[in-house]
Amino acid sequence: MQYVADMRAAQASGAAIEIDRVSHVYAGPDGGVPALSNVSMKVGAGRFVVIVGPSGCGKTSLLMMMAGLRDHTEGRIDIHGAPIPKPDPERVGVIFQEASLFPWLTTLDNIEFPLSLRGMSRDERRRRSEPMLSLVGLAGFGERYPHELSGGMKQRVSIARGLVQDPPVLLMDEPFAALDEQTRMTMGHELLRIWSTTNKTVVFITHSLTEAVYLADEVYVMSPRPGRMIDHIAIDLPRPRTYEMMATDTFGRLRDRIWQQIRKSH
Amino acid sequence: MGLIVKRWQIILVRAALLALVLGAWEVAPRAGIVNPMLLPPLSEVVAMLQVQLARPQVQEAILVTALEVIVAFIIAVPVGAAAGVAIAEFPYAGAIFKPMLFYVFSVPKSIFLPMFILIFGIGFQQKVAYAAFTTAFVILMSATAAVESVKSDYVLVARSFGATPLQILRRVYVPSMMPVLLETLRISMIFNFTGVMIAEMYASRTGIGHLISNWGENFQMPQLFAGVIMLSVVAIAFNEMVRLMEARCSTWRT
Repeated sequence: MQYVADMRAAQASGAAIEIDRVSHVYAGPDGGVPALSNVSMKVGAGRFVVIVGPSGCGKTSLLMMMAGLRDHTEGRIDIHGAPIPKPDPERVGVIFQEASLFPWLTTLDNIEFPLSLRGMSRDERRRRSEPMLSLVGLAGFGERYPHELSGGMKQRVSIARGLVQDPPVLLMDEPFAALDEQTRMTMGHELLRIWSTTNKTVVFITHSLTEAVYLADEVYVMSPRPGRMIDHIAIDLPRPRTYEMMATDTFGRLRDRIWQQIRKSH
Repeated sequence: MGLIVKRWQIILVRAALLALVLGAWEVAPRAGIVNPMLLPPLSEVVAMLQVQLARPQVQEAILVTALEVIVAFIIAVPVGAAAGVAIAEFPYAGAIFKPMLFYVFSVPKSIFLPMFILIFGIGFQQKVAYAAFTTAFVILMSATAAVESVKSDYVLVARSFGATPLQILRRVYVPSMMPVLLETLRISMIFNFTGVMIAEMYASRTGIGHLISNWGENFQMPQLFAGVIMLSVVAIAFNEMVRLMEARCSTWRT
């Protein structure tokens, strides 16, 4: 029932992302390899949505399509009411897996990279990047190079870089996958804090069921290739989320439901 | 602290070793331990170096060799780099040309020298053509590796922020390849220098290589060693210069 209520709320506030019967086939011999099959989802503005699924199920492909970085063969993807044929940093910010920072740029220059592409003056860039640096908790680290930062700090910089142009939608492709368990939990918590202050719509991909339940308003579960949506679960845990919630029955039940769905689909 | 002390230690040990070698070079021929006809004492070589550097004929040879080296390099670098980038960026061209280029690359280039002489004679052009030919291959191979060393993640990130192809080239490819490019420059110059030397020693009327070859044939060992010192100083200086630039980029090398 909570699920239905959530869905209504999402629809009332207007969908930020609408994916309608999207399929994709990778070109190849014998007619190609099907990667996605008839995927539909709707993400309400300001929602935190997590997609889980086995490796190679096409979830990263789906995210790349939402970012305008990859084509799809069939169906429709709308971001705030319009298709996204090519990347549009005004609408969508992408945060990638590990090591996507440019090693030849300092922290601040990395964060300002999207702004510098648009020819913004140095002063204006600094004016925008400094608050991002504090937002992700890295004040004082602006002049460091990526190799001087820990894995968690690098991902903080990545998040700041994704936020600096203030896009309403943030797409995150397993951003914490390369981090150790403790750092990962801390970063998840940090992300929720940042999210709650920025009102972004987030689509987050992960392999970790705990992470999925801890972060999400809604979880979509995908099947192995060709990827289909096999479940849509509302996470009715109150916010702000706390580490103690992980020990609750509700948390365990939700995680178990996702796990059962993934196991069944194999 | 410990590291600084160690650094000084290393520099001292190096200096001591150098002094030992140079000292041995001076003493061994004089003491008759080695044949002074084959290895003249250092002081004699240094004196001869001064004499030779003052000769107009030698000065002209230095100038000619330097010009050959520079012109060959100026031709080889863009040609090799463009071909290397093309092969890396266009998989179709790469699939066709890569095996051929690897075959030719594996063949010692000096066996083509007689052909270069037939085509270009034994003058300036032949030295430049041969050296550029040998050098372009090295640059081509390294340029391909440099392009392939650019992580596709970086390109994807730039694209996701709406970067144009030109911006991706300037802001991602160039800085990303810089360490490899500098190393390529350094190593290809060694090949370039070698190319000019071989061509000069094989058949020539001037140039340092020609002089060294002549001195050797006439058993003029002090002159020969003086020539070796001249060349080594220039080659080492260039190498160290580029290495210094490389060290500046080494912090973000991954």
